[in-house]
This record gives sequence, C-alpha cells and structure tokens, in this order.
Amino acid sequence: MHHAFKLEENEYNLELSRAEAGYRLHLADRTLPVSVNLHLEDDGSAVLTVNGRSEKVLVATRGDDVFIHLGGVAYQLRYEHPLQRLAAQSQGSAEDHIRAPMPGSLVALHAKPGQAVARGEALLVMESMKMETTIAAPRDGVIEAVHFAVGQTFDRDALLLSLVAAVVEGKNS
Amino acid sequence: MKRLESKLNTASAEFQANAAHNRKLVEAFKTMQHKVRNERPERDIQRLKAQDKMFVRERLKQLLDPGTPFLELSSLAANEAYEGDVPGAGVVTGIGIVSGREVMINAGDASVKGGAWYPLSVKKTVRALDVAIENRLPVVHLCDSAGGFLPLQAELFADKYYAGRIFRNQCMLSKMGVQQVAIVLGHCTAGGAYVPGLSDYNVIVRGTGAIFLAGPPLVKAATGEEVTVDELGGADMHTSISGTADYPASSEEEAIAIARDIVAQFKRPDKTRIEWLPPEAPYYDPAELYGVLPRDIKQGFDIREVIARLVDGSRFHEYQPAYGKTLICGYAHLWGYKIGILANNGVLFNDSALKGAHFIELCNQNRTPILFLQNITGFMVGKEYEQRGITKDGAKMIMAVSNSEVPKFTVMCNGSFGAGNYGMSGRAFDSRFLFSWPQSQISVMGAEQAANTLADVKIRQLARHGKQLTAEDVAAIRDPVVAEFKRKSSAYYSTSEIWDDGILDPVDTRNALGIAISAALNTPIGDPRYGIFRM
Amino acid sequence: MKSPVNPLPGAAVLETSRSRAANWPFRSVLIANRGEIAVRILRTVQALGLKGVVVYHAADRKAPAVQMADQAIEITGATPVAAYLDAKQILAAAKASGAGAIHPGYGFLSENAGFARAVAEAGLIFVGPTPEQIELMGDKVRARAFVAKGGFPVAPSAIEDDDPATFAERALKVPFPLLIKPAAGGGGKGMRIVREAAQLRGEIERARSEGQRYFGDGRLYVERYIENPRHIEVQVLGDAHGKVVHLFERECSVQRRFQKIVEETPSPALTPELRKRICETAAGIAREAGYRNAGTVEFIFGAGGEFYFLEMNTRLQVEHPVTEMITGKDLVLEQLRVAAGEPLGYTQEQVTSQGHSIEFRIYAEDASRGYTPTTGPVLVLRAPQGEGVRVDSGIVEGQDVTAAFDPMLAKLIVTGKDRAEAIARADRALAEYALLGCVTNTAFLRRLLNHQAFIDGQVHTGFLDAHPEIAAQPELNEATLHKLLAAAALVTRPMRDVADLVPDMHAAIGGWSN
Repeated sequence: MHHAFKLEENEYNLELSRAEAGYRLHLADRTLPVSVNLHLEDDGSAVLTVNGRSEKVLVATRGDDVFIHLGGVAYQLRYEHPLQRLAAQSQGSAEDHIRAPMPGSLVALHAKPGQAVARGEALLVMESMKMETTIAAPRDGVIEAVHFAVGQTFDRDALLLSLVAAVVEGKNS
Repeated sequence: MKRLESKLNTASAEFQANAAHNRKLVEAFKTMQHKVRNERPERDIQRLKAQDKMFVRERLKQLLDPGTPFLELSSLAANEAYEGDVPGAGVVTGIGIVSGREVMINAGDASVKGGAWYPLSVKKTVRALDVAIENRLPVVHLCDSAGGFLPLQAELFADKYYAGRIFRNQCMLSKMGVQQVAIVLGHCTAGGAYVPGLSDYNVIVRGTGAIFLAGPPLVKAATGEEVTVDELGGADMHTSISGTADYPASSEEEAIAIARDIVAQFKRPDKTRIEWLPPEAPYYDPAELYGVLPRDIKQGFDIREVIARLVDGSRFHEYQPAYGKTLICGYAHLWGYKIGILANNGVLFNDSALKGAHFIELCNQNRTPILFLQNITGFMVGKEYEQRGITKDGAKMIMAVSNSEVPKFTVMCNGSFGAGNYGMSGRAFDSRFLFSWPQSQISVMGAEQAANTLADVKIRQLARHGKQLTAEDVAAIRDPVVAEFKRKSSAYYSTSEIWDDGILDPVDTRNALGIAISAALNTPIGDPRYGIFRM
Repeated sequence: MKSPVNPLPGAAVLETSRSRAANWPFRSVLIANRGEIAVRILRTVQALGLKGVVVYHAADRKAPAVQMADQAIEITGATPVAAYLDAKQILAAAKASGAGAIHPGYGFLSENAGFARAVAEAGLIFVGPTPEQIELMGDKVRARAFVAKGGFPVAPSAIEDDDPATFAERALKVPFPLLIKPAAGGGGKGMRIVREAAQLRGEIERARSEGQRYFGDGRLYVERYIENPRHIEVQVLGDAHGKVVHLFERECSVQRRFQKIVEETPSPALTPELRKRICETAAGIAREAGYRNAGTVEFIFGAGGEFYFLEMNTRLQVEHPVTEMITGKDLVLEQLRVAAGEPLGYTQEQVTSQGHSIEFRIYAEDASRGYTPTTGPVLVLRAPQGEGVRVDSGIVEGQDVTAAFDPMLAKLIVTGKDRAEAIARADRALAEYALLGCVTNTAFLRRLLNHQAFIDGQVHTGFLDAHPEIAAQPELNEATLHKLLAAAALVTRPMRDVADLVPDMHAAIGGWSN
C-alpha cells in the first residue's frame, strides 16, 4: 500500500486500480477491494458510487488537499505521495520543522539563526484571535532559519522555524 | 462465427470420472506450487529478517499494480533437480503490470540458498529475457543473489546460453530501445554486478544493496586491501562517487516505490494492431475442461470441446471442416483478440499436414496470431503414407511453422510425442509462450512403445549370442525403461527442465493466453517469407 | 457561483421608500466596513436608488461587497484590520466619492465616538446615534451608572472608578462568583470569571493588563456572575424627533468564548408577560438616553426570571436579521431613514412579530479543536435555498479566508411558523451549505441544533461547555470513510493516472495470478 491520505489525525493507506467498469479501492485493512466510481456532472457536482450505492457529492482540490462535501458534512483529506512519505520516514525530520498549530501572526521572536536552544526553551510567541501562544523548542538544537518576521500572518501548519537537521543513526525500514 | 456445439454429456459417468481425476491432479499441482512459492525453512526466513530484507513475494506485491494480473512463468522450475532443494530455481519471473505498463519481472529469491544461481536459475533467467526480447517487454530486475553456485559452475558459466547470455540479452534489449530498471536489494557480485550495470536505470538500497566485481573477502585475498561492503560497493558510494547506481533508497519499500516511478517514465509501446472485438466469456464453462480430458492418455477425445471452453462466446470459424479432419483449423477470438487455432484430433495424415501448412500461411497473410493446442502422437507411418509423401507433407508443415511471422502460442493439452511436437510448434519453434497442462506428457515416443523398442533390441542382441529370455527377464529390461520414460515425459519433468514456460491449471489458460497475446503485440508483425516447400 | 439573492423583508416598503429617498440629504452612502455586513448595507442602499461606496483593503479585493459597490476605494494599513480603523483614510474616501453619509456597520469604528464626531465635523451624516450617546454607552461603567440611576435593573457590582483604592476590597464583597470586565471593553472580550476570593487580586492584575493592551484602557469593574445565565437583548430604534420603539427581543445564549454563535427570536425562555417587561425596560432605557437610530440593549437573564442590564450597543448588530424576519422591517432602511431625518412613522403597537427566526453564524473555525480559527481558499461555495432560508454572506467562491480578519464568513437565517419548523429548516439548510477549502463550523451547528437541550430551548451561556460532546468530532463510520477515500483517490492525479493506464483487458482480468 503505497499511497495514503491523512484525515483528521489518521493516516489511511490505499491503492486504486481499474476494473472492467469503474475502479476498485484497495484498503490496508481489507482483503477485498471496494468497487467505486466518480462521475462528474455539468453543474460541478459529482456522483460517487461505492459498492453500487450512489450519492451526490462536491469535490474540490488544491495541491495535495482534497475537500469533499458528503452527507451534509465537509471533510478535508491530505494526499501523501508514496515517494514523499517514504523519503520523510527515512529522515525522521518531524522535529526539525516547527509549524504553526493554528493560523495567526507573529508577536515576538526569541530566536535567531545560528542560536543554540535547549528543549523546552521559548522560541516565539504567536497571536490568534486575541489568544497568545508560546512555541517552545521540541529538542535541543541549533536554529537553522526563521521564516517569518514579527507582525506577519500565517496559516496553520506554516513552517515558522527550522532547526539544523539532527544526524540520524542507522536506517529505518 | 457460429458457436461450437458441445456433444458432451456432463452428467455421464465418464465425464464425472475424468473430472474427478483431473481436479485431483490440479489440486496436487496447486499444492506443490503453493509450497514452492511460499514454504521455506524457518532458518532462511529468520535470516532474511535479520538482514532487514523482504521475502520476494512481498517485494512483488509492492512492485506490481494492485488489482492487476501476474502471469508467473516456470514456477516449478528445478522441481525435479537438485533433490528439490531449489524451489523455483531460486528465481521468480513473470509478466506483470507496473505503473500501467506490461513488464517482465526477473526477481532473485534470496530465501533459496541465498539466491544463488544454479544452472536452471540461469536458464530460467535467460528464458525470461528471451521472452522480453521477443515481445519487447521492459524488464524490472530485483537483484538479490549470492552469485553463481560454485559446485555446478561448469553447467552455468562457459557455454553460449549460460550466464553470459543474461548480460548479452540485456545489451540486446537496450539496443532495441526496451528499457530495464534494476533494484539492488542485496549483493550483486561478480557477474551479478552487470545486471544493474547493464540496466538503463537502477536503484540501490542503503545498507543491504551492494555492487562490486569482487566482495571484501576476495579483494583481501587478491590484493590484501581491507575494505567494508559499504565502502567497496554500497549505495552512497555508487550513487555519489562512481555513478554506477542512479537512485539511493533508505529502505526496500522506498526503492520499490522509486522503481515504480521510473517505470512510469517509460514510453508506452506501440501496440501492433490486429483484428479485435470486445471480449466475451466462453459460452461453455471452462471448468468442464476437467471432464473433457480423459484419464488415460491413449484415449482420444474431440479437441473442439477444449476450444469451446477457451474462446470468446465459444464461437469458432472452422477451416476445411471436411478435409484433413485429424487437424482442426479455424479462427476464433480470445479476450477479444482474433487468433487462428490448430488443434489435434488424432494422428497427422498427409491431408491434415497439408491443411496445417496452408492454414498457417492463411494466418500469416491475415496477420492473425496462431494458437497450437497439442494432443499429438505423431505422423502416420507405413508404406501407403510414405508413398503418398507423408515425409514431404510433414516437412511442409514444419517449414510453415518455422517461418511463421505472426506470434505463435502453444499449449500441451495432452500428449506431445515425436515429430508431431515439431509440426505443432514445440519448444524449438519459437512460440512466444509455451504452457503445459498438468496431465500432459512429452517425449520422442510413448513410454510403452519406447520400452518395447529397447527391449526388442536387447532380446535380439542376446538371441545372437544364443541367449533366451524368460518373461521375468523381459520385464526386468522393460519396466525400468518404462518408469524412466514416464518420469522424464511428465509435465513436471518438462517444467523442471524449463522445456515449457510453466504448467497451467486448464481453467487458467484463457487468462494466461490473453496476457501472452497482449504482450506479444508489442512487436511488429513482419511480412511472411518461407523457404522451399518440398512439393 | 454567486450567493443566492435573498428577499429582504418588507421589499414592498423599500419600493415606496425609494421615492422619499430621492429627497434625502444624502445621495450616496459610504460603508466603512467589510464582509457580510458591507453586502447587507449595500443591498438596501442600492435598493433605495442611492449610490453605494465601499472602502476596502487589498486583502478584500475579491470580496462580494467590493464587486457589488457602485464605487470601491482602496485603503491601506499596517495590517488589514488597521486599514478599516483608519478614520482619516475613510473620511478622505468619503470626500473623494462625494458620499453624503457614512454607515459604520458593526465592530471597527461603529462605536468610536471620536469617529462619529469627525464625520459630523466633515459635514457628513453618521448613520448611527450621536457621539455623546456612543460615549455614554461605550464606557461600561458610565452606562451602568446611568441605567441604575434611571431605576432600571443592574447586577450587583463594584466599580473601580467609584474609588480605585478600595476596588479590590469592594469587589470581594460582591457575591461570588463574579466577572471582571474591562470598562472600555465589549463584545465579550477581555472578561474573566473569578470563583474564589483567593484568585481575585491576580485576576484583577491580568484583566487590567489585557484591558490596557486590547482596549487602551485598564479600568475595570466587577459584577456578580450569574451562573449559566441566558443572554437576552432587545432591539431598539429611535428617531431624531424623540420617538423610541422596541422591535422585540433576541436570545443569544449559545456562545463560545463569550462570542455569540446562535441567536433567535422570540426567546423560548420568556412568557409573554416577561417579554413585554424586558422589551419595555429596554425601550425605557433608550428613551431615557434620548437614543437616536438603531441600538441593542443587552440583559443577563437568570433562571429565576430576574434580569439585569448588561450593556447597550450603539450600532446595528450582527444578529439583526432575525428581528427583520419576524417584524418584516428592514433595519438598515430604518437606520438610513432616521439618519436622513425622517420620523419613525409608526407606533409601538404597530410593531408586531410573527413566526420564529434563528440565525446561525458560520465561522471559519474548528469546533473540535477548541474553536481555533481556520484558513484556506474558498474553492467551492454552495449556499442553501428554499422557503424561509436567508443567507447573508461575506464571501464568494474564489476568495481566500485568511487570519487577517474575524472568522465569521456568513450568517444563515432560517424562519418558520414556529421554533420547530425553523429548526427543521435550519438542519436542512446547514446540510446543503457547502464550503470547500476552509474548515467551517456548519457540521458543529447541525450537531448543536439536533441536541435535545437545544430543541427543548434549554440554552444558556454555559451551554456549550456543559455539553462538550457537541463540539467533539464524531467518530467516522466505516462506510463514510470508504466513500471519502474513494472520492479522494479518484480525484488525485497520481493515483488516478496510474489506474487509468492499465490496459482494458488487464483491468477486466483484475488481480488474478496463475
């Protein structure tokens, strides 16, 4: 199972194959594929058929994000290309990138490139809807780069700070 | 095209008895195949785990597109050699779909003697690459081998079609513009280093993959230099310093994903266009094939009952229905593709041999691939037939088969004896794919006949010296011959020696042929040209 | 796709007002606001045949109001919000466009007395109350004192201004729990609940520093905090000739972080008698202040039926549409009429209410993650339509929702003959509302309105905290998960392309092996 989508905090591995009519969805936790198809209508909506049952859905994409309105609820999934996912696995890079937990703006900066920081040390303060949040270093390290200046706004998951990559011992598989 | 009318009574005792017998044979075949594919001594499984390696079947599962077919070739190679210790000859080959493209897979099975190359492993690999050349199939090599099996080096090193042929074939593929990608998942030592070396693209796994003409122990012995595997031929050295390898990967999973992405870059082949109609399942149930094939190989049956359970809609256009009736010729569709079929209904006579040669020419004129369904004991013999020119007529059929430009496919449905094998496009006649059914037999003549002939020679020899033989003496001469013949004419022996591309459950034949025909159409079909037909 | 055009209430009244509007002292109105309220005001302005001018920051370039306006003038600022607070630029824009009146909407400069004064000094008409009225009610301490003096009910409290030295001491005497509030605050911001005396001094310090930071004024007052109160407010309207009427109440108890999410009228908590009392109290307060133009008097309503004056907002409120739906009055029209000098022209008795209306605020936020604001492009926007459904939207397809502004995107207002019908219509409408590209709270709002306590009308300001299951993300069932994965896979090129490349025959044979 190479491809994956992230929905909420869960990652789902899956594959898509073509069937005689329509497609099959192969899921990691099931042996039998699910028969699926998506037919685009003129008005921009789509008809999704899963195991013979059809319903109207709205789908939009932007980059790796897929937005779906189904059954009166809107969902957001993020696609992970197999090469991206496998490359990331081998680098253990999660702790090198400090991302914004929510959209907001940078209020105060306590770190600059080249500075050595200790785990838990306050790196910056961000503000969102009149709530202030302090972001601390996830590990000991050295600041490689700061990507925003005080006063700038950013979205959730924006890369705020990078730490110099830690040396990874051994190989993951 | 009209649908064939089956004359079988599927409720008859005969049919039921045949079916029970053949189902048992197929079950035995499937059980053995499953064992050969999957069962390994525990210590070999543990060794793989300790080396951080995946079992070859798991690698293939990750490599191949989900929900697509895989036609494995010669799965039971070497099953009667090396005391059965080298299942599948330690190599997995077959045609699968990777990133939407038909490719040939050549995968080393490191769980079998470390992936060492036995003589039959080399033969299997060379065969796979020959198939790739003839059918212009891109190749994905999964390299994981301990190198040549030294005790048998005399049978795998020096001759024309031994190990060197693998590398020569790789060069031919490259010259033809048919791409290869190699994934280095283990050590590629000595000759083995040329597999990635001669591939257009290669990927190497950091930590387990290595490429070198000689490993550290040999290097130390040769020059005294002490060096580690990684320094000598590891992923980082070859991808950043020597440039021998193209893509480093941190894990087998990543390497396979990269290889899939590489295959996704290959240009797709221009398929040769032949007549085609939307496919249709056979009207008669292919499972009835078990009841069609008789329990006794000497017993005849109407081969049209086999055709009816293979082709689309069971529809068949028979050519010369009233002439040469021991050879059935005609057109049909299989998985949509139009094919010509030659199928035996008895011994080949003058008229059937002529009909066969003529029909082969018609198929070549029509650009129609040909399927040979063999159930042949040989050509008719005797004074009358020699005077009629049976030798000449057999020669014409063989001339037509040999020079046929359209792709040929052969299935040993039952018996394949003597020159009938040749006239019906046996192994030597370059069928793109050749399969056997589990109960089929192949030899120069029937076991009984051969035993009688040899016994006869011995009896006359002894008689010249004045010796008389009792019935027991005769049996003592005959019986071992019969046994030996029987063993070496079974489908299992044939497939062990890689005289065929695998044994098939009859019911699987339709899918196998569909995949084979599709692969064959990567190659253009030339204009027919024949030698001299002795008239 | 454009948002559907909702019929404004009293469309017929608008028609007749057109001819009168031709004689008003202003022919064009500049709207110093953005988002949905700018659209809302613009619609009435244009329906009256007046010219609508809008100021906008570059971040709002694609906003619907900017597209609709007769003239749109770009303004700049260190931040987008700063631009809309820049009185100088706004007045300059008004002058450049020849606007005769400025409508401040809500938020931004709408309750800035200095701005109201500057507008008057520039010879323009401010659509709202007088600067003095803004100042009076803007200072929560002064407002309280004024209301108490008038004999209207206020909550037990301690006001710092009365005697700063003894403030903390007097605060301790107010029955706990109590609420520390900034004197210059409003809209629910900067308030702190204190339950234990020991925490009081510390909370006073923090509240003071926040008040200073956010409102530029560190003065405080404390009030008795009524546990799980209901928040009931009354719409009032006064003309320049001393006439004041109320247009009934609105219940705004469903809140998060002291901000309203759902507002409805009539309030399910009020008997007809209580309703009359609260509304007349509000009208009385407005009358006492000689209030001009539209305003809202907010009350805290306790379980026993007691109510206290909370504050008065001297502007048009976000939730005004529900009042419009049950009274049939266009409040923006009434505001413009009053600003133009017209008398109200109707008595209190002539103000009637019919049916039940509920407004749901659609926010760009993730209810299941503590309501954190969300951002993203508006890739698809489909607003619901149908009987009793009105959508006041401030966004269109193609815009980006950013962290630069308040996360309210639109308001869904549903009206029915009774509360049950309104709730049923709202459920359907929220299910139909589709915004793809940015997380919104529509699914959360549906869970809210389907909660038994809400259906029973048992709401109060602590309602959401008391029922955390409403905000919580429900478990995804397997069937829905498969549908989502299927749809996502089928629109993702790397997955789709590889599947499509497989030849027909191999696809038909499927995952077979010999």
